[in-house]
Amino acid sequence: MDKNILKEIVGEHEGGFSFANAKRNEYLTQNGGVMPNATKTGTTIVGLIYKDGVVLGADTRATAGTIVADKNCAKIHYITPNIYCCGAGTAADTEFTTNIVSSQLALHSMNSGRQAHVSTAMTLLKQYLFRYQGHVSAALVLGGVDINGPHLYTVYPHGSTDKLPFVTMGSGSLAAMAIFESRFKPNMERDEAVELVKDAIESGIFNDLGSGSNVDVCVITKDKVDYLRNYAKPNERVPKLKSYKFARGTTAIISETVRKFNSVKDEDAMEVV
Amino acid sequence: MSTEIQNAAKSHAGRWEPYVDNGGTSLAIAGPDFCIIASDTRQSEGYSINTRYDSKVHQITDKVLFATSGYSADGKKLAENIKIQAEKYLDKNDKIIQAPSIAQMTSIIMYQKRFFPYYVFPILAGLDGEGKGCVFSYDPVGNMERVGFQVYGSASALIQPFLDNQVGLKHQENVDKNRTLSKQEAFDLAIDSFTSATERDIYTGDYLEIYTVDSTGIHKEVRTLKFD
Amino acid sequence: MFLTRSEYDRGVNTFSPEGRLFQVEYAIEAIKLGSIAIGVKTSEGVVLGVEKRITSPLLVGSSIEKILEIDNHIGCAMSGLTADSRTIIEHARVEAQNHTFVYEEHIPVESLSQSICDLALRFGEGAHGEESIMSRPFGVSLLVAGYDHKGPQLYYTDPSGSLVLYEAKAIGAGSEGAQTELQQSYYKTMSLEEAEVLVLKVLKQVMEEKLTNSNIQLAKVTPSKGYQIHTADELAAIIARLDEQE
Repeated sequence: MDKNILKEIVGEHEGGFSFANAKRNEYLTQNGGVMPNATKTGTTIVGLIYKDGVVLGADTRATAGTIVADKNCAKIHYITPNIYCCGAGTAADTEFTTNIVSSQLALHSMNSGRQAHVSTAMTLLKQYLFRYQGHVSAALVLGGVDINGPHLYTVYPHGSTDKLPFVTMGSGSLAAMAIFESRFKPNMERDEAVELVKDAIESGIFNDLGSGSNVDVCVITKDKVDYLRNYAKPNERVPKLKSYKFARGTTAIISETVRKFNSVKDEDAMEVV
Repeated sequence: MSTEIQNAAKSHAGRWEPYVDNGGTSLAIAGPDFCIIASDTRQSEGYSINTRYDSKVHQITDKVLFATSGYSADGKKLAENIKIQAEKYLDKNDKIIQAPSIAQMTSIIMYQKRFFPYYVFPILAGLDGEGKGCVFSYDPVGNMERVGFQVYGSASALIQPFLDNQVGLKHQENVDKNRTLSKQEAFDLAIDSFTSATERDIYTGDYLEIYTVDSTGIHKEVRTLKFD
Repeated sequence: MFLTRSEYDRGVNTFSPEGRLFQVEYAIEAIKLGSIAIGVKTSEGVVLGVEKRITSPLLVGSSIEKILEIDNHIGCAMSGLTADSRTIIEHARVEAQNHTFVYEEHIPVESLSQSICDLALRFGEGAHGEESIMSRPFGVSLLVAGYDHKGPQLYYTDPSGSLVLYEAKAIGAGSEGAQTELQQSYYKTMSLEEAEVLVLKVLKQVMEEKLTNSNIQLAKVTPSKGYQIHTADELAAIIARLDEQE
């Protein structure tokens, strides 16, 4: 492409963060270009604070358009031993964002010799996401317990955050929030809190087409984390009625070549010393 | 830049959009003296389920069923029109209309709306005048073809190749290509098609209506699929 | 006060105080002036026969057509003002084609005959402003012969629009005598060939002229071959069969 045309579209690059590619893509789209599609996780993720800590929950469906790409993916990501983060949005973005922040916090903990604060994780996430002006599609529920007690945040793709006692995110957030709004109360017992989180996720699983399959739960307390992978499995597949084994010879052989290799004789055997 | 986007958004939002895709899948398999017609009952819009039980299979006569997919409202109106015409045929000709006649008539009813089509992908299936299983499939403007089996709807890309292989015996060597399916085999294939499609298509699920049409009449069975 | 008869004669859609539509009745009378047409149904098919009145030795007989094809499986014979039948035949042919277009099958004989009758009373002004095709009733009667899922059928229509199913029927001049003869000679198990001979026999009795292969027309509708009109040679052969019997 002619350099001047590129300048016209993109403008002079004057240092700082470059949005040249974003602008280029916009130009291409306007002129009939088609952008490649990333895998989005239509998702239900939730979190709440209870008496002894934080409970996070997520469904396990990953979609590519209208097709289920992964029936049992894990959407609750590890940040530090005392902090976990649920991710909704573009799968790659949630994965990378949480991984990057996780390693930054690991270094931070080693340098400082202290356990990470949930607020630090939140700040790193929002600064990272703000830098990309919403182009990194990660909608997060961040939860953990630190020196100051249990904390629960939502982080939006543009970098804004909320700090609340119960939160939901993703395409199933309305379905899940309906459950929280009707049944949440402060200082719940663990069993009650986990049951509420499970019901909120199931509400997303059954009522939101972007969410489905199983319920993952993560209970974070002051000195223990219970990552309850597939805590509930309300959608087990029924067995197939017929067998679909093919008889030998069903696959067409298009061409066949037989090659003769030299046979190995006794004398050729490698000597073992 | 922002004004451009705003203008684009404004003009897009203002445009009249008469069609909606309500998802769902319909399937029909013709046998030598029977026909299997199956359809899931989930009716959705975007990421929301409008209802978990909305029949997409409509009975036209005691031998012929009409399965739809696409835009639910259009599907219902089209089925209604065909039913009305079938009844008028009975009144006028003192004879129950047969599948190939309904098929041709349906094609004409659809083509009459060539420039504002019914957003429907219909399958007409049942027994023909000789008692043989028959399946007719259409595009939304009425192009018709008599086929051995057909899948339309949100999971068609998942199930059609499966039936091409299992019913049409495509890509299989050393098999008897003249082999015909038994009623039970076709029935089980229909169910397996839907339980599998439900796993991977978000718009297919909730309940399954399966109709068997044979010389004894139309038999309906309802099974549950998954609700997620 | 009652109007005189002649005043009721004028209105094509006005009942007389005695409950009669004179114009329609006169139209039916007009049929009786027409040359005879006969239809006979058998289990193998239907036979139609008509007399062609060759009124002048200079008239080309083959130009008179009183039996016409409506569709592959339906034929029709007429008596009366045959020119009036043009509109009816045109309508019937369109109905038959339209049925095939929409339903991919032959139109049932009854439906086709009924559609002919639908025309019969569409004269004068329509009550709701529909377009009328004629200012007076049709002056023609038809014998509709056809074959469908119900088997071979023979229908009779008249200018009043009534539709009647017959096994054997004669219309036109001398039809009373012909009908009596049909009643005596017709039997259900009759073969198609026997029916052909019967039609000729009755025609011969009624016709003033000597029956030849040029002053009659004969057609048949069979399940296998549909509507077929006989050639002069075929007619001669059937006439020979009749002569043999007599």
